[in-house]
Amino acid sequence: MSSYDSRLLNFVIFAPLVFAALLMLLPKNEKGQIRALTFVAMLVDLVLAAYAYVRFSNGGNAEFRLEYWASWVPEIGLGYHIGVDGIAASLVLMTGVLGPLVVMASWTFVQDKVKEFHLALLILQTAMMGALCSLDILLFYVFFEAMLIPMYLLIGVWGSEDRQMAAMKFFLYTLVGSLLMLVALLGVYLIATPAGAHSFDYASIYNGLIGASREVWACSKTGACNLSPAAMALKTYGPYMFFAFALAFAIKVPMWPVHTWLPDAHTQAPVAGSMILAAVMLKMGTFGFWRFAVPLFPSVAQGWQLPLAVLSVIGIVYGALMCLAQRDIKRLIAYSSVSHLGYCMLGIVAMTPEAATGSAYQMLNHGVSTGALFLLFGMLYERRHVRLISDYGGLAKVMPVFTAFFVIITFSSVAVPGTNGFIGEFLVLLGTFNSNLPLWVGVLAATGVVLGAAYMLLMVQKVFFGPVTRKENQGLSDMNLRELATALPFVILVVVMGLRPQPLLRVIEMSTKPFIARATLTSDTSDDKVRVVVRTPPTPEAAPAGGQVPAVGAVVPPEIRPEVRRPFGGGMKPMIQGAPTILPAPLMGAPEVQR
Amino acid sequence: MDCTSFTTFSEFLKSHSLWESLVCRMQTSPLPAEAVGSHLWLIIALPLLGAFVCGVFGRTLGRENTYLVACGAVLGSFFLSLIVLWCVNDYRTAIPNVYGEPIRYAVGFDYGTWFSAGTFTVHFGLLADHLSTSMLLVITGIGFLIHLYSTEYMSHDAGYWRFFAYLNLFVAMMLTLVLADSLPLLFVGWEGVGMCSYLLIGFWYEDPQKAFSGRKAFIANRVGDFGFLVASFLLVGLLTAFIAQAPNENFSGRDPAGAASRFKSGLQTKGPLAFGALEELAKSMPHGASPSRVTLETKVATGPLKDYTYGGVLTAILLFFLLGAAGKSAQIPLYVWLPDAMAGPTPVSALIHAATMVTAGVYLFCRLSYLVVLSPFAMAVIAVIGGLTALLAALIAFAQDDLKKVLAYSTVSQLGFMFMAVGAGMFWAAFLHVVTHAFFKACLFLGAGSVMHGNADEGNIRKLGGLRREMKVTWLTFAVATAAITGIVPLSGFFSKDSILHALHTTTLYHYPAVLHFVWFIGLATAACTAFYMTRLYVVAFEGDRAKDARVPHAHESGPAILIPLVVLALGSILAIGWGLPFMENPTGVGPKQTPMENYLWPVFATANGITANTGWVRVEHHEGLPWGAWGLAWAISLVGTTIAVVLYRSYFPKRAGQPLPGPIEALRKLSYNKFYVDEIYDTVIIGPIKFLAFMFYRVIDAVVIDTVGVRGTAWLTARFGAMLRYAQTGDAQSYAAVMAIALATGIAFAMFKLLGGP
Repeated sequence: MSSYDSRLLNFVIFAPLVFAALLMLLPKNEKGQIRALTFVAMLVDLVLAAYAYVRFSNGGNAEFRLEYWASWVPEIGLGYHIGVDGIAASLVLMTGVLGPLVVMASWTFVQDKVKEFHLALLILQTAMMGALCSLDILLFYVFFEAMLIPMYLLIGVWGSEDRQMAAMKFFLYTLVGSLLMLVALLGVYLIATPAGAHSFDYASIYNGLIGASREVWACSKTGACNLSPAAMALKTYGPYMFFAFALAFAIKVPMWPVHTWLPDAHTQAPVAGSMILAAVMLKMGTFGFWRFAVPLFPSVAQGWQLPLAVLSVIGIVYGALMCLAQRDIKRLIAYSSVSHLGYCMLGIVAMTPEAATGSAYQMLNHGVSTGALFLLFGMLYERRHVRLISDYGGLAKVMPVFTAFFVIITFSSVAVPGTNGFIGEFLVLLGTFNSNLPLWVGVLAATGVVLGAAYMLLMVQKVFFGPVTRKENQGLSDMNLRELATALPFVILVVVMGLRPQPLLRVIEMSTKPFIARATLTSDTSDDKVRVVVRTPPTPEAAPAGGQVPAVGAVVPPEIRPEVRRPFGGGMKPMIQGAPTILPAPLMGAPEVQR
Repeated sequence: MDCTSFTTFSEFLKSHSLWESLVCRMQTSPLPAEAVGSHLWLIIALPLLGAFVCGVFGRTLGRENTYLVACGAVLGSFFLSLIVLWCVNDYRTAIPNVYGEPIRYAVGFDYGTWFSAGTFTVHFGLLADHLSTSMLLVITGIGFLIHLYSTEYMSHDAGYWRFFAYLNLFVAMMLTLVLADSLPLLFVGWEGVGMCSYLLIGFWYEDPQKAFSGRKAFIANRVGDFGFLVASFLLVGLLTAFIAQAPNENFSGRDPAGAASRFKSGLQTKGPLAFGALEELAKSMPHGASPSRVTLETKVATGPLKDYTYGGVLTAILLFFLLGAAGKSAQIPLYVWLPDAMAGPTPVSALIHAATMVTAGVYLFCRLSYLVVLSPFAMAVIAVIGGLTALLAALIAFAQDDLKKVLAYSTVSQLGFMFMAVGAGMFWAAFLHVVTHAFFKACLFLGAGSVMHGNADEGNIRKLGGLRREMKVTWLTFAVATAAITGIVPLSGFFSKDSILHALHTTTLYHYPAVLHFVWFIGLATAACTAFYMTRLYVVAFEGDRAKDARVPHAHESGPAILIPLVVLALGSILAIGWGLPFMENPTGVGPKQTPMENYLWPVFATANGITANTGWVRVEHHEGLPWGAWGLAWAISLVGTTIAVVLYRSYFPKRAGQPLPGPIEALRKLSYNKFYVDEIYDTVIIGPIKFLAFMFYRVIDAVVIDTVGVRGTAWLTARFGAMLRYAQTGDAQSYAAVMAIALATGIAFAMFKLLGGP
């Protein structure tokens, strides 16, 4: 890995922010220039993200790659540590792909406060990329929260008639979850890393918990409860912390029954807001389960596997039933997200490699198909400014090309084989059937296949088929060139991801194996299967082994290379540089590894 | 016949007879199997490309060019299929199967991984054996005729390019279905044809009723697909458990350990749902108590299927597959979509809803024949479902007045016959009926289309009449096809239907001895009903005088693009008897003579036949010589049905014109006319409650319980709590001071208390 690679993710994350600064310089009423600049920014970010994806997929066999580390607040063990594994790289790529399309989708839709709108989009892009790349828990939290503000503005300022209420509901709902998460995050920080060497680094926290997790597992399964202090703390507080994490992410996903913010937010959000919300922000929830909630507390997750799976299945079936009862098209698509994300969650909690890979793939699929549905409906909304199914009817006659696009995306959404949706659903269900979960969970989840077709086709029939019932609809224009260019990439993705999924699945699989090993951790899982190995900074335990640790100096640029600091108060984790072998072990602050 | 010395035709002719030389020429492919196998994808790609060109550029290209592209694509596939047929028949053809063992009479190719995750893999593998090849020819051959027919039938429709794009896409999907070498790839075709069927039924989408019918078809199919998926997932679980549990003794042959390891490595590379893997599983799964081997009675030791027996799981899998097949092939309980599917253009009804797509369920069971024969219970259920469907549909067809509706119910009924044959383990008979039915039913539908084309889209048979004189070619072909489906002797339908009835009569399921006998009676009754309603249809529409309330005074005969397919299909329904006459030697050397179809499909069903011979669960009584008795009975029955219909509709009813029917008969007619109210029952029992549930969930749980009580309730509580605290925040310095003073005093008092050594 060249030192250029280690900076790549920085560019991916901050390129939009840099362009945002440039955007500030533009005059307010130069709407065309503002749009063009934002589009270029997103395009640059897409190229960077795609390059990062390629570099990742050819980049050796470390779990986390393209890492970069810089000291930030060493006093509390907070570092700026970024890097991606397979699932994060895939989601980064999708976020990148979506960027330019979102700008194109809002080209004529937003006419008001154009500059602020595009600033919000760019800042949001940075926040999302940052959250996906963070390898430091507190850094993740910062980005995770930072996403909230631009999205709040997108809904609250550029939304439809009831936007204030929806934005507030979205904000409060999410905030409740994430504040609880913050508490849990501090808890896990205190338990996982030893006093005097506390760190928010994902690797330190995870590796610090492995031993305790094993003990807790043994205690709950075999009754051998001779626990070390850390394990005792984990056993006592683990469930609370897990549920704090789980609640935060479950709200984001959203899982039943904390999903009611989503229909309102989606309905009121402008097309760009809906697209980003559906395609990327909901995935932060599933990604959070994958990266944090499940691996950090494997025995709690295993113990609660069935209830979580049941909630996911309820999400699938209940979401689909909700769709059948909707009269508002955007609300229907929003509820269909609840149903689709139910598959993602089921795939994660089934804890089999097939289901987990399928779940991650389903995250990408949902981004493509639901993102496209919101995009397409946005085009209709721009023409008519109404959302009820009954306001339309017979559109196939007046907008044939649009109808063709919509129907293709519908087939992707109902997972017809040959489209992307099928691969994800098939793998998730297959993995669920062959997991520890009872068979009826899989069977019930599979009924979503029928219900999904029922509600989508009902909507398609009512909106597009039959005679043109309203005279306002008679003169609607079909898609123009810009709209065509925005929608075409989605259709291409639907087909390509359905027929050649293997390259994408291969990248996802790189993180499936460690995820499954961590989720199914037992007292005899070997260390090297689950340990999070990062290159920078050397993990405290790995350092004494000397040669294993790649030279830090090669990756960390000199200007920000941290000084070796004598911890004051004797409690802080020292930041090291250069050859770690010459440092005496105590100075490293290596915690006792619970074995 | 020994063709090993065949090199060229003229050389061979010097030492052999012309017939032998011809046969050996047919069995010696000009192209090597490897080359044909690796180009199988072209068969699918041609119509797919056609669909793309028609769909995207159709309007720009114009009508004639679109016709040319669409028909050309299917014709091209037809010729490619002929080459495949030649190659598959080659006596030398022996390609390695997924496990590296040679299989004969098949060509195939593996185009690499489609997707894989964990231990699961699916490949893009295509395989053409005798079963697939026959289907290939039916699909592309009849498909081409129907494309040709459509060029005239759709000549006034502005959406021609859309129509041909869908039709070509359908052909591509159907070809994928029959060429697929694994269940997931088959499922691509399976759902793909359902999708095309949805698009084509709702082709005239401006009519809400037609759009609704399309949706109904798709959703009924989806219910079936649910079954298909669940069955596939269970199958993966079963295979995984089997691999973990089965000792080497389970694998037969000279080298069981080698076979076991080949099987396992094959599973790893090609995935568990490849047909080769399933066949191997079926072969290695004996029944009976055996301490050293895993048998059907063994319980699964590990995994999610733990404690179920292998046989039990297999039965469940087959019943889920039956649900899938019932969706696609319109059997009870999912048949309700097919009659409504007649809303589509008539060529669609002929191609999709008669000749090809609806036979996919039968094809699936033929493909999985080796699994089917392992579960006598599933076989009994399949036979009974087929029988009941056949009879129910025939009874509904009695009172329908719409030309296409009668044909639709008759299709449901004939598909029921095919399922009966599958249930009896007579896969070749089922498939023979698939082929003959494809000819005569396509001919009937296209004839119906021609009738409607010439009568200003009139489909009600009571408003037609006397067409015999007005549309001569249509009449003749329709009559031939009617005779074929009725089972009049020298036509194909007689032989295929009789093979099924004969099979039901002579076969016994060891565990359920009465079932097939019962189904045989149903089959006989249905055969009589078929004769009755088809004759009624024919007599009312074509014989007699022209109806007084006809939409046009005189029908006009259709043009050549419609008539040529009709004639070819009518000839086909006559010539197809060639496959149904038992004159070929039995390959085993014992037993009765075989029909060419049975002989041709022998390699495909060899595994299933081997299993049946071992288990003894399906017992066939062999009779030497030709089954004259059965033939006589079948013929007599169809004659009875025909005669009753002719008498009733040629003399009885015309004489009583204007008088109402007797009460009970009228009630029965009404019941049949209203399809026994099955649609209404489904509406009330299933669809209504689901909609109500959805509505209640939305209004009660989502809006009230979660959003109002949960979310807003929390907000309300927070606000109230805040409001309560507000009382403390008065902003009045004096009261703050008072609170401070009291607190301070309490603190001091507490400290004093502690210091003075309280309790």
